[in-house]
Amino acid sequence: MTANMSASGMELGRADMIVSDGVDKWYGDFQALKGVTAQVAEREVVVVLGPSGSGKSTWIRCINRLEVHQGGTIAVDGVELTNDTRNIDKIRSDVGMVFQQFNLFPHLTVMDNITLAPRWVRKQPKAEAETKAMELLERVGIPEQAAKFPGQLSGGQQQRVAIARSLAMEPRIMLFDEPTSALDPEMISEVLEVMKDLARGGMTMMVVTHEMGFAREVADRIIFMESGEIVEVGTPEHFFTNPTEDRTKLFLSQIL
Amino acid sequence: MTMTEPSASRLEVSGKPPFYRDVTVVKWLVQLATLFTLIFITWFLAREAGDNLRAKGLTSGFEFLGQPAGFNVSEGIDTEPATGGRALWVGMVTTFRLAISGILAATILGILVGLARLSNNWIVNRVGSVFVETIRNIPLIVQIVLLFAVFGSLSRVELDSGPINGWLHVTNKGVSMPRVFIADGFYQWLVFMLIGLVVARFVRKNRIAAQEATGEPSYSGLATLGVLLLFAIVGWFIHPVFGFIGGPLQAISDGIANIPQVAVQVALTALAFFAAALWVKRFRDSRRTPAGMAALTDDDWFRQIFAFVGAAAAAAFLWLVWPGFSDWIVNSSSDLFRVLADKFGDNPEFLDADGVARDRDGAPFGWARPDIVQPGNFANYGDQGLTMSQGFAAVFFGIVFYTAAFIAEIVRGGILAVAKGQSEAAAALGLSRAQALRKVILPQAFRVALPPLGNQYLNLTKNTSLAVAVGLSEVVQIGQTVISQSGKSLSVFVIWMSFYLCCSLTISVIVNFFNVRMKIVER
Repeated sequence: MTANMSASGMELGRADMIVSDGVDKWYGDFQALKGVTAQVAEREVVVVLGPSGSGKSTWIRCINRLEVHQGGTIAVDGVELTNDTRNIDKIRSDVGMVFQQFNLFPHLTVMDNITLAPRWVRKQPKAEAETKAMELLERVGIPEQAAKFPGQLSGGQQQRVAIARSLAMEPRIMLFDEPTSALDPEMISEVLEVMKDLARGGMTMMVVTHEMGFAREVADRIIFMESGEIVEVGTPEHFFTNPTEDRTKLFLSQIL
Repeated sequence: MTMTEPSASRLEVSGKPPFYRDVTVVKWLVQLATLFTLIFITWFLAREAGDNLRAKGLTSGFEFLGQPAGFNVSEGIDTEPATGGRALWVGMVTTFRLAISGILAATILGILVGLARLSNNWIVNRVGSVFVETIRNIPLIVQIVLLFAVFGSLSRVELDSGPINGWLHVTNKGVSMPRVFIADGFYQWLVFMLIGLVVARFVRKNRIAAQEATGEPSYSGLATLGVLLLFAIVGWFIHPVFGFIGGPLQAISDGIANIPQVAVQVALTALAFFAAALWVKRFRDSRRTPAGMAALTDDDWFRQIFAFVGAAAAAAFLWLVWPGFSDWIVNSSSDLFRVLADKFGDNPEFLDADGVARDRDGAPFGWARPDIVQPGNFANYGDQGLTMSQGFAAVFFGIVFYTAAFIAEIVRGGILAVAKGQSEAAAALGLSRAQALRKVILPQAFRVALPPLGNQYLNLTKNTSLAVAVGLSEVVQIGQTVISQSGKSLSVFVIWMSFYLCCSLTISVIVNFFNVRMKIVER
């Protein structure tokens, strides 16, 4: 454990939004997460890197209970994730999630995809939800696609709709699970631009990605995981120029 | 053309190819050859069949439809049909009853079993699996015969038999329970309910708009149901005011009766050609691109010509083959309106079987409890309880269980076909499990399940003909009796085939209608 592993929001003078303390997760007899301990501060952008199978997706899926962790504690904005459905609902309403495969609802138009949750979970009037949705579509740069169905859009456009759909619930935290991995190379930058814009706006973000350029440019901290454990935590500068752990050096030598 | 002519040296063949190498000519020749071969084979088989049947003394013809039937039917809307046609109609109604009630019951049972197989509850899950695996691996006819034997082994009908005496009897003669039936005031009440339907639709729109405006639930379904209930109750008391509708309906009937046959022939011919022209226009519009008219292929020309050939064939049918058809349309439309008029007023010309004029002040509905006329027998339909005979019950439960097993698999497959990411995305957005099911999972599952579901409905309808194995008088069984009475096997075959074809086409059209509405837009 290196000294900067303990880096948390307290040092930045902000409250911790996500606290993960000794989180364990098994699939049968395979341990996917081994005592994962880390914090994410308010308005912080944390990028999680690591080879495939290192448990980074499993970890962020545990944070909004898409996977159930079996040991340790996870707390989001002071609410602990337990079997209590009220806590789960509270955390899910605070946390937005963007998936690798977009997971847009193919039977609904872009507009209906975005307004579905605000109208039925937040009970917003339709007109209000649609005005908000148009603002979000303008923010992600595709207001003209509102009436189309997901199947009519390109991959990059679909992922931008997915981001707008999450933002419509006004989350305080956004989780990104490999948001650009399913995209054609020429569409990656349009999605990354939207994410950078969000980060500049002060959103608390946890991003699992393989985009090193994005990590270097946007991340406040980088968490490197391997085999279900956190190996190294540090600023991008530290991570890319002066990593301390051998496993980190090996990983960087393979991808850079 | 701005392009320059290609140089002659690079053009090997410039002349027209011989006709046997010309794709267009060859294609048309093959089309025409196929058509003529088909016509010849049909004509040849029909002639051979006709000769053979005549040699055996069998003739076709439909006179038996209007002649006395000469036999009684064991159950149905009319146990002593006056004519052969009426007897077949009794069988058709029994088939309708089986098919419609069977489709409803099999759908409900199938959905329940399908959901059971997806359940996390071990016992529920196992029960579902055993049901599906047992039922769908035994031939339907074996199940029907088995069920018939099971029902036959139940106790005899007695005046004090049955689980709930006077209300529900389960016996070797079948199952009898109370039933509700349409009474004299029904049609006036129906008119009032139509007004109620319009009001309910208005209220529903209003409620949905309120929900959209405030975001709060406005219970549009409950409000709509409430309006309908209110109209049903109020209508029960005030429906006689609509008795006057009988007058205008009678006038319409008289008006239709005065239309000359030629007018109908001209109108229908015009309609046929108008439909053909409309089809061709739509077709050409669909081939029009922003850059101009797309080149039409030979097939496209063939379709356009065929549209007009079809219209011409319809005209030939109307004027030459069966000129009486137009007359028949006039008469039956006129009859339809006269019957409707009689439903409303106490028309002295139209008396019930017992010689009483219809009482339009009567209640819209009546009800009756099972009635045991004598030990060992139920009253057969009429104003008595709803009796499902031993044969009907065997066929009904047989086709319902069998089809439900297949529907269960379709439902399960449909839900499993919706990607896991869909429910994850819904959960991540904060939708509850019920909201996710209703708004995200089921609409997509239904889209996958609908086409195979339609197939099962077709199978169920056709499988009702297996009732012949237990002697239930549906259309096939009665048809066989008609054949043995009249000897017109060919005609009855034609009636059977067209009957099942009409049923199947109706189901297909309904399923397709929903299918098109559910379609997901792709690029």
